[in-house]
Parts: sequence; C-alpha cells; structure tokens
Amino acid sequence: MELGIFTIGDVTTDPTNGSTVSENQRIKNTVEIAKKAEEVGLDVFATGQHHNPPFVAPANPPVLLSHIAAQTEKLRLSTATTLITTTDPVRIAEDYAYAQHLSDGRISLVMGRGNTGPVYPWFGKDIRSGIPLAVENYNLLYRLWREKNIDWEGKFRTPLGGFTVTPTPLDDVPPFVWHGSIRSPEIAEQAAYYGDGYFHNNIFWPVSHTARMVQLYRQRYEYYGHGAAHQAIVGLGGQVFMRKNSQDAVNEFRPYFDNAPVYGHGPSLEDFSTQTPLTVGSPQQVIERTLSFRDWAGDYQRQLFLIDHAGLPQKTVLEQLDLLGEEVVPVLRKEFAKDRPADVPDAPTHESLVIRHREGRDPIPGGGPGSRAYADRQARAAEQTATEGADR
Amino acid sequence: MRILSITTSLSEDSTTLKLSNKIIAAATSAADDAGLSAETEHINVRNLSSDLTDMALTGFRSENLEEAFAKVAEADVIVTVAPVYKVAPVGLHTLFWQLIDEKALANKPVLIGSTGGTPRHSMAGETVLRPMLSYLKGIVVPTTIFAATDDWGSVEGGRNLNARIAQASDELIGLAASLHSVAADSAADNADKPDDAGAASATTGEFGSRGARRDPSINDEFDPELITPFAQLLEG
Repeated sequence: MELGIFTIGDVTTDPTNGSTVSENQRIKNTVEIAKKAEEVGLDVFATGQHHNPPFVAPANPPVLLSHIAAQTEKLRLSTATTLITTTDPVRIAEDYAYAQHLSDGRISLVMGRGNTGPVYPWFGKDIRSGIPLAVENYNLLYRLWREKNIDWEGKFRTPLGGFTVTPTPLDDVPPFVWHGSIRSPEIAEQAAYYGDGYFHNNIFWPVSHTARMVQLYRQRYEYYGHGAAHQAIVGLGGQVFMRKNSQDAVNEFRPYFDNAPVYGHGPSLEDFSTQTPLTVGSPQQVIERTLSFRDWAGDYQRQLFLIDHAGLPQKTVLEQLDLLGEEVVPVLRKEFAKDRPADVPDAPTHESLVIRHREGRDPIPGGGPGSRAYADRQARAAEQTATEGADR
Repeated sequence: MRILSITTSLSEDSTTLKLSNKIIAAATSAADDAGLSAETEHINVRNLSSDLTDMALTGFRSENLEEAFAKVAEADVIVTVAPVYKVAPVGLHTLFWQLIDEKALANKPVLIGSTGGTPRHSMAGETVLRPMLSYLKGIVVPTTIFAATDDWGSVEGGRNLNARIAQASDELIGLAASLHSVAADSAADNADKPDDAGAASATTGEFGSRGARRDPSINDEFDPELITPFAQLLEG
C-alpha cells in the first residue's frame, strides 16, 4: 500500500486574511511540501497537470518531479494527472522516461483527460474528441515505451516513421501507469484492457458512484486475464483536514471550504462531508474514514490525500503533513495490512516491474491465452469463418 | 395508478399549491370514473432547493434528490405546477427538470399547470416547460392549465378554471388508460408463455412505467457486461 499526497497546485486567496501567494512562492511551497512528505515518512507525492488558473503550479509535472527527485531519496513521484489528450504522446514518452532515469525509477503516471473545454484548443485539440484522443494517444505512448523504430499513423498527430524515443525507459521497463477518471466507464475499461492501474480522485462524488467505477475496472481486469478482480491495481484520492480536536478542525477549515475553487459557495461542509469522502476532524476520524474505503473498494494499492488547496497557509499544510506522518499513516499502514489476502499485490514499484518483465509476466493488452477476452475473440473469429464458409 | 405532483410552492399555502391540489383531485376522480384506483403523491420542489443548487454546482445528488428522482421514475402520470416569474416558470422549478436524468419521463403522460398574477403570463407553461418535458420524453397532454388572480376571484373565472382542469385531467387519465390497455394487452400476449408471464408483469409493474423504472443513480453504462470493449474504441 502506497500512502501519500496529491496536489492541484492552485493559487487561491486565503479567505481568512485576503492574502494570495505569488506563483513563484506557490511553486517553491510545492517543492517544500514534497520534501516534507518524504521527511514525515509518506510514500508518494503526486501533482496534477493544469494549464488554467487557479491551478498554476503544476503546468509541467516532469520538470517539477525531476527537481523534487534531485532533493529526495526514497519518495515516489507521480502525476495525479498527465493530460493524455492535449499533450503530445511523444513528449510524454520522452519527458517521463527522462524523469524516470533521473529519479532511478521513482516515477509513475496517472493519465487524465482534463475537462475544461477552452484548454484543448490552446494545445491544438478539440474537447469533443476527448475520449478518442485519450484512446489513440495512450495506445501510441504504450508502444513508444516498448518498441523501437516505430512506424505509426493515427488521426490526431503527424505520422511517425522509424521513431525511437530518447531516452528509452530505464531497464526497458516503462513507468507504471494509472488511468484516472471520475465518471467515464471507457477509461476504467482502458485501464483494465492494458492491465494498468485505475485511480479515482474520490473527491467530488458519493462513494456509491466511485464504487461502481472501481468494480467495473476490477471485473474487466479479470476479463482481460491480468489477474482476479481482487488483484487489480486500484488507487483512491481523498480530502482531509485535521486538528487534534475535531471541532477545531471544522472551525479552522470552514472558511477555506466555503470559498474553495470548484465546490465553494455550494453545499455545506457538513453535507459535503456526509455525501463525499471529505473528512474534517481528528486524526482518528481520518483513520476510520480512510479504512472504510476498503469496504467498498476492496483491498487497494494507493491512497493519496489532498491537503494543500483552497488557500490554506503553507504553515498549516506542513502541520497537516506532520499529523499524517505521525498519527495517521503508521496506523493506516498497519490496519490496511490486516486481513489483506496474500495474493493481493502491493503497489507496483520499478523494482517489482523489472522482475515482472524479466519473468515474462508483463500484462498482454486485450488479454492473452487463458483469458475470457481471448476465448471470446477466438469464438468470434471461428463464427466469422463459419459464416464466410456458409456464404460461399 | 401512481399520480405524482411535482409542484413548486414557494410559500406554505400558495396559489400554486391550491392549483396543484385541485388538479390532483380532478385527476383522481377521472381515474375513479375510468375504474382505475389512484395513489397520489406530492413533492414540493421548495424542499429540494438547496439540494438542487448543490447538484448544479458540484454535480452530485443528495439522498433527498435521489429519492425524488426515484419517485418520478415510479410514477405513472405526472402533474407539474409552478408559479410564473417574468414570463417563465420560476427557475427553481425548471432546475428540477433540468437536473433530472435524460428520458426520465419516458412513457409518462404529463400535465402542465402554472399560476401567475395576470393572464399575460398564460403561455409560459407552453413555451418553456412543454419543450423541456418533451425533451425528457414525457407525453405532455394538449391542454395546459393556467390560473391567474382573476380565476380565483370571480364566479365565472372559477368555473372556467374548473372546466380547464376537468378537460386536462380527462386528457391525462385518458392517455394513461390507453397506455395501460396497451401494456395489459402485451402482458396478456405474454401470458401464453408461462415462463415470461411473471417477468412481464414484474417489469410492467403499475401500468405505463415499462422500461422507465430504474435506479437514477446507477447507470447501465457502468455494467461490466454492457461496456463497449476497448478494442472497439481503439478502432475508432
């Protein structure tokens, strides 16, 4: 189980004093948060990718993550979104392979589409093609990281002739990829098809919906023969704010909640806490709520918390990290390990992926022999042959 | 037969609520005349105002909203009544219909009622609500009911209003009854096949709701058995 934090890097005015940090300060704060995450014993720091205000810090995740990699030892670094729709897959392949080398394999990615219409044309794309872009671009990225001298043509970028990415991935093993989506079944299906991970940000929606997405992914993962449903690689987000005394947490967080980007000026803190996984309270309450995710998601591999948004002061964010590191994460680690079936895999690491690759156990996209998907394909092919025979 | 009123009554004892009650009473008696037993239920959109705003802002539905949308799915006929503000039904009322699932009114007869200060607002239900409810696949009956202050104040106005209510209720129940007899006929056809008879009546349920009954929060697109295989997406 990987436990860590994810950020959307928003620059938001602190509603309690009207102050706004500069972009420069926000970026430096983000680096400080990541270093602190390692110091307090978290496993992962993840950043979103956004190109529109108020999300200014994470416009270029490979640069940020490489910078953090140089200042940390063990911390695993991930995107919380890599925009697979509007970022050229050739750039993704090269930039993240480079970051993977610099970080000695500590990099992983979460693919996301982004849902802000105006952003697409800034990068020469059209939001109406959101899903087809995610499908074609990832398929190209997948090949770029595994094949040399690629000849390729598709709908959304110029063709490639005899292209090989530079650098090729570390030890010939690409960074692990998660596919993130809040509500698109196609993306859960995509994750299952490739045997990749599935990540749900678990912030805006009731768990009943998130559970449906996770179950869909798990069952399709099994269909494609990458393992049993309970062995699929699931990651969840979550949002917390803690103080030793839970009422202090509620009082302190309320103005930030009420004015937060995206959901501010909407539901009350109490309603949002009941209806979504947001937990504002004592470390013990955060522990209990987070452990309850397992009841509907099954045993899972990655838990990321959002703690640094909505204009919260840097000092407060660092205090949140102390609480996570001292009181929450050690307990979660112990409790999540309890009753966890031995055949549920841990979160993939570069080392585990290298072993898997050398043992020839890499997932086969679409399902290899022995999978239900493979049997269905064989049956369809046989049926087609029979029909063609009858036609003749 | 389940008759559901979706009414936006902004004050506790509003004209809109009075009109809604009159329509429900007329529809119930029309159902009795047709030999159908009617159950009635009432939702005041006012009680969902925060839930609707929250859903508009954050995209998710509260339990109250889930429940209200489920009641719409279970109803056989819908009566919807709202006050008119500035030549359109009040925004809170249209928000309810704007946030409900696509096709939420499939196969359901719907009656539109509105209230307003002067007869100048009388076309609001026709021009704003009728297309919206048709978009949701509701079968909106030809007569809509509009009640202005005059209709409550004079003997003649009251008579005219009652006549319009009776006309619209007859259309509503007549349409529901004919949908019912189609449903009953198809159930009778299926009765020849003993295995299907139970299933047919189970899915037909109370009449008129064939195929419309589903959990609004759980969409079939998340069913692993129904998902579009990824290979198909890859082919474009």
